Amino acid sequence: MVGTPVLLVVIPLLAAFLIPLLGMIWKELVRIIPGLVLLYMFILSATLLNQVLHTGPIVEVIAGWRPPLGINLVFSPFSGFLVTLMTFIGLMVWIYSYRFKQNVDFEPAKKYFILLMMLVTGSVGIVLTGDIFNLFVFIEIVGISAYALTAFYTERNSAEAAFKYLFMGALASTFLLLAIMIIYTQLGTLNMADIASKMPEMNTTYKITALVFLLTAIGIEAEMFPLNGWAADAYTESPGPIGAAFAGIVAKAGVYAMVRIIFTLFDVEGTMQFMLYIGLITLIVAETTALRQDRLKRMLAYSSIGQMGLIMVAFGIGTAEGVFAALFLMFNHAIIKPLLFFSGSYLVYNSKDKFIHETNGMGKHIPVTSILFALGAFAIVGLPPFAGFWSKLSILTAAADENMIIIIALILIVSIVELVYYLRVVNRIYFFKMAEGVEPKKPTFNALFVMVTLGVIILLVGFYPDAITGVLHKASGDLLDKTKYIQDVLSLNP
Amino acid sequence: MFKYIEFSIYGASILLILIGLYGALVKKSLIKIVIGLSIVDAGVHLIFVAMGYIRGGTAPIFSPGFENDASRMVDPIPQALVLTAIVIGFAVTAVALSLVIRLYKHHDTLRIDEIKNLKW
Repeated sequence: MVGTPVLLVVIPLLAAFLIPLLGMIWKELVRIIPGLVLLYMFILSATLLNQVLHTGPIVEVIAGWRPPLGINLVFSPFSGFLVTLMTFIGLMVWIYSYRFKQNVDFEPAKKYFILLMMLVTGSVGIVLTGDIFNLFVFIEIVGISAYALTAFYTERNSAEAAFKYLFMGALASTFLLLAIMIIYTQLGTLNMADIASKMPEMNTTYKITALVFLLTAIGIEAEMFPLNGWAADAYTESPGPIGAAFAGIVAKAGVYAMVRIIFTLFDVEGTMQFMLYIGLITLIVAETTALRQDRLKRMLAYSSIGQMGLIMVAFGIGTAEGVFAALFLMFNHAIIKPLLFFSGSYLVYNSKDKFIHETNGMGKHIPVTSILFALGAFAIVGLPPFAGFWSKLSILTAAADENMIIIIALILIVSIVELVYYLRVVNRIYFFKMAEGVEPKKPTFNALFVMVTLGVIILLVGFYPDAITGVLHKASGDLLDKTKYIQDVLSLNP
Repeated sequence: MFKYIEFSIYGASILLILIGLYGALVKKSLIKIVIGLSIVDAGVHLIFVAMGYIRGGTAPIFSPGFENDASRMVDPIPQALVLTAIVIGFAVTAVALSLVIRLYKHHDTLRIDEIKNLKW
């Protein structure tokens, strides 16, 4: 036994506030501590996941107040899988940004690592918590650290992006609080399992009002159309590794909260269809917007929003196959998109405006980064034999089982759009001549290590998808079994 | 009997939410937008606390002389939640104002319609 789920929230939070103090003792600690914490979290989470796959979920009671009174954390196969994935990406982001601003100044690095730890704390908390007000608090922790990280570079126009994000986030938190208020006054409980078991008693008008408020609030974190206006700007203006963290950690937590609310808390007829259609609209709008972009990071950001739409489509299919496909997509997106952000930020490292045409001819000068970017691009589009192929195949078969022909057609058409804009970049990297005066930046050892690791995972999952499907099947079964979730939490023995 | 106090509290909080939304969505000055956002917050907090209100209620503590007053006790949970939400709202407002300062330094204006370098 290496620990309990509560440590996954407490340790990074403690570390975040200890960093400035430890930095007074030895400046290097500011960089080392986050890595040790993330490594520990990853090992703990992976061990616990391995355990819950065999023995069933761990429900942890905080401060001795048993549910439905107190706050509880639920480490089930589904949430455990996401936490393991998120801590892994956190670890990769840390390795990549270990030397962040090392030669420039001490202050920015300190703030960067504090905010990164807060971001991880909040995201892990969103996934683990079993209390709806606690969910609100964690969403706000993620929000505030994400606003600050977006506005990190003072020389860029990042404050504008951050203000946009903050405006939507603040309105979202208001709606979330209103929804919590409606649920509390109607049902008299804040525990998610208790809410789920009492939900049939709730008046339909109140139920739908609360659901609409909740979906609006959480749709912002999950990058749901039309609430995702902030996302592209935040991805573009924030530091490179933070774009990867947004895609791999924050957006995943948002989708988790949305899915938990739709699948477990509410029993409203038609919510699945809503998720299906809103996901489809998100997918189509984002991918066609990505096609029009002339800046690399903006293109990647819209592609990321599109992928989130695809994940929502897969969840919206609603069958066990659909949920399995959605989880597979989440895994792939969390692995591939950071790779694209990491390698992409090296391709346009020394350029001011990060235009796509500035990647011309990089293939000859920084070959490893270029080939990893190409690998990521092929994988996310879904070409065999890379990881993305299997997830796209599973969503198509899930849709085919439900006879959703139009949806299959739309997904395929959008995939072609996706292929076009990614191939355009890859084409520029390899077959165009480099412009005069462009200085390619050689990746550091850490960055190279991270990119190669992610690339190897993409290839491994591509050739042996069975390595991951077992976990995914258990996780999707866990999500769909609402009665078991309620029972696990409420019938807890003292 | 019609409950005037409850009615006026609910009415006032909904009015606050509407005023705040007007400020946040219609006004062009960034400072006014931030003020609007915190007025919306205040309205939500007020309506949340009002939900736990009981006329002539007592504090939710079993003290001497109040042993049998469980039914008259004001619900403490909304108050605890609102206290947390106020702190969060304060932090968000502080971050927002610091961003406004940064925006002003960058663009030399606070009018939101003159700041539009980033869009779809």
